[in-house]
Amino acid sequence: MRAKFQATIAAAALIAAVTAAQTVAVSAQPQATRAAASSDTLRLPFETFTLPNGLTVILSPDKTTPTVAVNVWYKVGSKNEVVGRTGFAHLFEHVMFTGSGNVPYGVHDKYTEGVGGSNNGTTNNDRTTYYETIPSNYLESALWLEADRMGFLLDALDLAKLNAQRDIVKNERRQRVDNQPYGRAGEILTHAMYPAGHPYSWDVIGSMADLSAASEEDVKDFFRLYYAPNNAFLAIVGDFDAAQAKAWVTKYFGDIPRGKPITRPKVEPVTLQAEKRLVYEDRVQVPRLYLDWPTIGENNDDRFALDVLATILAGPRTARITKALVYDEQTASAVQVFQSTNEDVGDFAVILTPRPGHDLTNLEAATDAIIDRLKKEGPTAEEIQKATAGEELNFVRSLESNLGKAFRLTDGAGYHGDAGYFRTEYKKTLSVTADDVKRVANRYLTSGRVVLSVVPMGKLDQAAKPDQSTRVTEYDEKKPEGVK
Amino acid sequence: MRSRIAVALALCLSITASAQQVLDRKKAPPAGATPALHVPTWTKGTLPNGADLILSEKHDLPLISFSITFLGGDDQFETAGREGVASLTAALLSEGTKTRNGEALSNALQLLGTTINANVSGETGTISFVSTTAKFGATLDILADMLLNSTFPATGLDRLRGQRLVALTQARAQPAAIASRVFPRIVFGSDHPYGRVVTEQSLKAITRDDVVAFHKAYYQPGRALITVVGDTTPAAAKPIIEKALASWTKGGDRPTFNYPPVTEPRATTIFLVDKPGAAQSTFAIGRPGPPRSTPDFYALQVMNTILGGMFQSRLNANIREEKGYSYGVNSNFAFGKGPGAFRAGGDIVTAKSDLALVEFMKELRGIIGARPITDDELSTAKDALIQRLPATFASVSSINGAITTLWTQNLPDDYYQQYSKRIAAISRDDVLRVAKQYVTVNNLDIVIVGDRSVIEAPLKATGLAPIAVYDIEGNPLSTQ
Repeated sequence: MRAKFQATIAAAALIAAVTAAQTVAVSAQPQATRAAASSDTLRLPFETFTLPNGLTVILSPDKTTPTVAVNVWYKVGSKNEVVGRTGFAHLFEHVMFTGSGNVPYGVHDKYTEGVGGSNNGTTNNDRTTYYETIPSNYLESALWLEADRMGFLLDALDLAKLNAQRDIVKNERRQRVDNQPYGRAGEILTHAMYPAGHPYSWDVIGSMADLSAASEEDVKDFFRLYYAPNNAFLAIVGDFDAAQAKAWVTKYFGDIPRGKPITRPKVEPVTLQAEKRLVYEDRVQVPRLYLDWPTIGENNDDRFALDVLATILAGPRTARITKALVYDEQTASAVQVFQSTNEDVGDFAVILTPRPGHDLTNLEAATDAIIDRLKKEGPTAEEIQKATAGEELNFVRSLESNLGKAFRLTDGAGYHGDAGYFRTEYKKTLSVTADDVKRVANRYLTSGRVVLSVVPMGKLDQAAKPDQSTRVTEYDEKKPEGVK
Repeated sequence: MRSRIAVALALCLSITASAQQVLDRKKAPPAGATPALHVPTWTKGTLPNGADLILSEKHDLPLISFSITFLGGDDQFETAGREGVASLTAALLSEGTKTRNGEALSNALQLLGTTINANVSGETGTISFVSTTAKFGATLDILADMLLNSTFPATGLDRLRGQRLVALTQARAQPAAIASRVFPRIVFGSDHPYGRVVTEQSLKAITRDDVVAFHKAYYQPGRALITVVGDTTPAAAKPIIEKALASWTKGGDRPTFNYPPVTEPRATTIFLVDKPGAAQSTFAIGRPGPPRSTPDFYALQVMNTILGGMFQSRLNANIREEKGYSYGVNSNFAFGKGPGAFRAGGDIVTAKSDLALVEFMKELRGIIGARPITDDELSTAKDALIQRLPATFASVSSINGAITTLWTQNLPDDYYQQYSKRIAAISRDDVLRVAKQYVTVNNLDIVIVGDRSVIEAPLKATGLAPIAVYDIEGNPLSTQ
């Protein structure tokens, strides 16, 4: 069955793959880069090596608890899809649990959850992760499972299986989007912020129409390109012996052939020339206001100052918007502010829920006044100190989880080519200054933004500045299915 | 099974041997030797005011988890008509003390880089934090100030009440939130503590005097356990704790947990709650169950793991994986001091509500005998329960929870050491016996929150049970 897989890859890649298989043992003497934590807080030692087929491996032994976390991080997300064929990366998050060439359906759960561990997968715009935690004596079987779905998934994939997973994804959408109050706000904001065809302009879960229309071969081609060892990062964290783990990684992953070269989408930065004002009617009881600005991604250090800015604006009761609107004026019952950072782009969002008798128009004006003042005066030194004082505790607590450490290491390796990027991240967060925050507030929180009001059915007049807001209506996929 | 040394040698010495070795990927690699279970140890003491003190050392990271747990909760300490006062009082601990107003408390905690959490649930309450070792004493001082010197400003009460009223309104928009309020009311009745819910009316009735009285009655050392887990020692921590809580004087005792009997079993009925336009129907199927103290606890754990406790359990394997009616279904027992509910359910795509109900009932009949439990099901359920235990002791807060549970549930100190043995001893007959006893398919309350105009007729056509229509507060509208 391997031939089927190899036949589809280019000759050059095939040669590389064969070479890789023959020289697999060489890789067991990796050019390990040992990294020691630079300070007492950042005690997360690890080593990395790369197999000849391109698989990047990160090992971080820690004997505290007799469990191991395994995370396989594929550098593929919804942005790698194309218009008309969206939702594939997330669909694979489901297909990957349906069995592979040598591992029948159900065995993956049996050797993870069934032995006292757990498993799951996540998908975003940039990457998908597949992970399990297992008692430490089940590490070898976990690597066997992950290698089999990397190397042999398509051997076990047929149309019936694909259709079943399409149905489950549609149910996931119903549960997480359609049946949640305000559940559609995220995709409305996404569609408004990114121009048509931009790699971040479609939702991670994809279009249900695209999923229905995809052929078996479409889906398989997507897998062959992106779920190859040269596009994957494997982290093993917890109670294991490093030499043994290297031997097992080589044994199970070493002869999986390298995939074709991948062309990454070109992602243009996004700016909005003017404010876009929208209103959406939802089955909600209380209206809600979203202010959303396009910002920057992982590779732009402004994100550290944007994170600090978000904490200065909302969260603790002394944060500026929280204090003014939730505590002092009591016009809002809740406010959230956060910077979401994807690999290439990001957005900065303010979400406001009014108290009864208070309207969104006034909440928007009050929020803008607070932001304008911050843009003019900048934050105080104490605000910066308060916003970053929790970093040490957060970091040390994250070291208590093998899985949390595995995520940190693979994110660093996958996004920054450095599994130890957490040190840079930590340092840069702690060195954000008041000037940095003032600068990013002025640079990003401009008039080019999306303002979305979600209002109860029939209450379009509850929108912020209703006369200036455009009504967003149902998408095709919203229609209930199967109702006769 | 290969030894470690053999593998390492093969890799170092023979470059081609391992590549040529035929790897049989069809065969699952064997598991290694089961790692020894290391249950944390702890020391016990009592403060002069009567509060119990348990301390467990863990020094690998500079972290300390601290909690004070109170025995008894809403069910024992809230008076009728004041539902919500316990939770409001807990929240008001952050609103100001004799020497710090709410902002000063918040500022101090932000600078310490941590938060203090206070809440009260049905049968216990806690106030707790996790800090770095260096910030432990300073954080504890703030906790003590909140616990002992809170002023409960009326402005804080009014604001929190207003926020909660909005949250209650928002909950009416979501089928799952509606089900979580309606299900206990129907299963236990509104007179039973387990059937009480917080309402607009009860929130509006709560006065500052109610809060002050609740605080005085409830937050007493005579029913409290202080648990400290992490990078400290009894010799170091005890003086810090005694000093911080010096003004917390003797008082209070452990409540009794006398729950009234549940209503007589009634014939299985569908309680349909209309949520027009819902894309999915939320199912909650259940009945009162046994308390945590039941000798059947271990057999019930195994039974529920087979029925609906894991991804590949019968309910999810059938209704999600095989039929595709849902993104996930499960079952559980609440296991409290009283008759906590057995509940099976999940969110079902609207158009498949009738078919899903047929499958739920099929699996519930199956577990009580119609579908015999296989050897593989029994051993997988037991393996999963036994082998997940070590992960319980990974973090200072999870160790804190594990130790504190022994105290709140009157479990022996060697509970975790004995757990594996107790689970391993469960037989197929045990599982079948408890299934028959507690999953009584002829006496279930089936709460379904969904689009009545679409699902009522198909549900009726299943002929599985009569339908009674209820409103979103859990009051009957009509019976057909």
